[in-house]
Amino acid sequence: MLQLNRVTKNFAGLRALSNVSFEVKEGAIKGLIGPNGAGKTTIFNVITGVFPPSEGAILFLDKDITLQRPKEIARVGISRTFQKPHLFKSFTVWENVMLGRHYRTKAEFFACGLRYPWAKREERMIREQGLGYLRMLRLADKRDRIANKLPMGEQRYLEVARALSTEPRLLLLDEPTSGLNDYETDQFRDILFEIRDMGVTLLVIEHHMKFIMSVCEEIVVLNFGAKIAEGSPEEIQHSPEVIEAYLGVEEEID
Amino acid sequence: MEAVNRKITKSASTSTLEGLMQSKDSSVTQEPLDKDKLAWVLITPSILFLPLVLGDGYYINVMNFIAIYSIVALGLCLLLGYGGQLSISHSAFFAIGAYVSPIICLRYGLHPLVAIVLSQGIAAIAAWGIGAVVLRLKGHYLAIATLSFTIIIEVLIRELDWLTGGLEGLSSIPPISLGGFLIDSDWRFYFIIWSVVMLLLLFGLNLVNSRVGRIFRAIREAEDIASLFGADVKKYKVKLFILSSVYASFAGSLYAHYINFVCPAAGSIMFAIEIILVIAIGGYTLLWGAMLGVAFITILNEYLVALAEYKRTIYGLALILTMLFFPNGVLQGFKDFARILVQSLKKGART
Repeated sequence: MLQLNRVTKNFAGLRALSNVSFEVKEGAIKGLIGPNGAGKTTIFNVITGVFPPSEGAILFLDKDITLQRPKEIARVGISRTFQKPHLFKSFTVWENVMLGRHYRTKAEFFACGLRYPWAKREERMIREQGLGYLRMLRLADKRDRIANKLPMGEQRYLEVARALSTEPRLLLLDEPTSGLNDYETDQFRDILFEIRDMGVTLLVIEHHMKFIMSVCEEIVVLNFGAKIAEGSPEEIQHSPEVIEAYLGVEEEID
Repeated sequence: MEAVNRKITKSASTSTLEGLMQSKDSSVTQEPLDKDKLAWVLITPSILFLPLVLGDGYYINVMNFIAIYSIVALGLCLLLGYGGQLSISHSAFFAIGAYVSPIICLRYGLHPLVAIVLSQGIAAIAAWGIGAVVLRLKGHYLAIATLSFTIIIEVLIRELDWLTGGLEGLSSIPPISLGGFLIDSDWRFYFIIWSVVMLLLLFGLNLVNSRVGRIFRAIREAEDIASLFGADVKKYKVKLFILSSVYASFAGSLYAHYINFVCPAAGSIMFAIEIILVIAIGGYTLLWGAMLGVAFITILNEYLVALAEYKRTIYGLALILTMLFFPNGVLQGFKDFARILVQSLKKGART
């Protein structure tokens, strides 16, 4: 579904990504792990068009999306969340999800200002569908709260709900469990499976090893901008490169 | 309580198909009780009936000016309060409306209504041209760019005296007539202008509580995130700028045909700044607040004529006090105060 071919990204002499290639298969939950600064979030930014890669190509559903801008990426069917929640702070929880429905709906200035009957119907649909996504993320009771006033864990949930409401084919989650307590983390695992069962493919950046090992069929490991391993959780756990990257290598001291 | 009951009966009476779609808790997907709409329904008739109760008088003239400036303030409120784009060009668009319509009328002898419609078209094209260029800028840079446009218009009005009458302005502008019925008195104009204001307000209220309004607020908060959700931010900003500017130019046209005279003061920079000030005092995130601010300043202007020299000082003082005590405007301040009062009363009743 998503293919990265030898993607390289340079920032003024700093090589953030070098020759990273991997594939995410339709219907999978794929993990993306690595030590801090390994380039995981950079991969998300490159995929979503925040900045284009310096070299290499990105294919989504066999179409080249390498140079697409963020607003076009949403339309191809890729949505994302952020490491630090970027919600619309003054919006209510419900309005945040309703905004996610934006490009799936079409009422413009005059339709909205003059309340054409079809625009009214559309607005009601937006409200209902938004509420559906909130229910899925267990946020329906908090729909009228201001997004900024939610605890961190629920802000992350809300970001997922908002990303889902764009009806993506591929959902990119950037450290979804950081700031969640144990109970919420377990709940989030169920939610991830629910999302996959809806037919959404997932690519998840994560630091929480126990969590990622229990949800992903396949994991990519990055270190210093390069892919050092790819495979099932067991393979990753036993790969010497990965152990070295995380624990460091023993040095002989004379 | 009554409102809740009404909601439940309403949802029960919807067709079975809709009832099925709304599955579990059908009452929540109903439109919430829109307080703005309710206020509109109550306030509109009371404003329109006001002269029938109070009779003719000077206050009608004051109310008419409040109405005209309200239209400008509503336009700016949409752009600044909801879209987050600070523009100091509203006096320029007011002047475009106030000059183009009379020029069309006087030079080509067209009917005032036709002239008003045509001049809105011209203003919209101008706003589109300016907006497409300057809305690339943000914050202070946008304010400065729009300010330069205002200065250009101000100079053009004074210098192109073959067209605009220069410093003398244009006089004997024909009043609006509706099928032979001449709108030539304060009294008659009152009903026309207030109907227009309330309709434009309704349009604004509808707009901000809709798909498009959500995108404006999203742009105000975080443009880049808004674009991640498939919104063409630039297109929306330009459209909003055009809408906002046409509100201003429409007010300008009505103003010219009302007082039958325009002079360069209509497009002065001070006017553009005053409108921003008025919105800041009334509450720039509320359309009602913008109108309240206009009413406050206009009445102050009219009844403190003796203190005309200190006008700007009083404005400044009012602004400082508002910023200190009601940072989100007077209306928002009142709303918060009322909410706290109600809450503490409830608490008192319980204990």
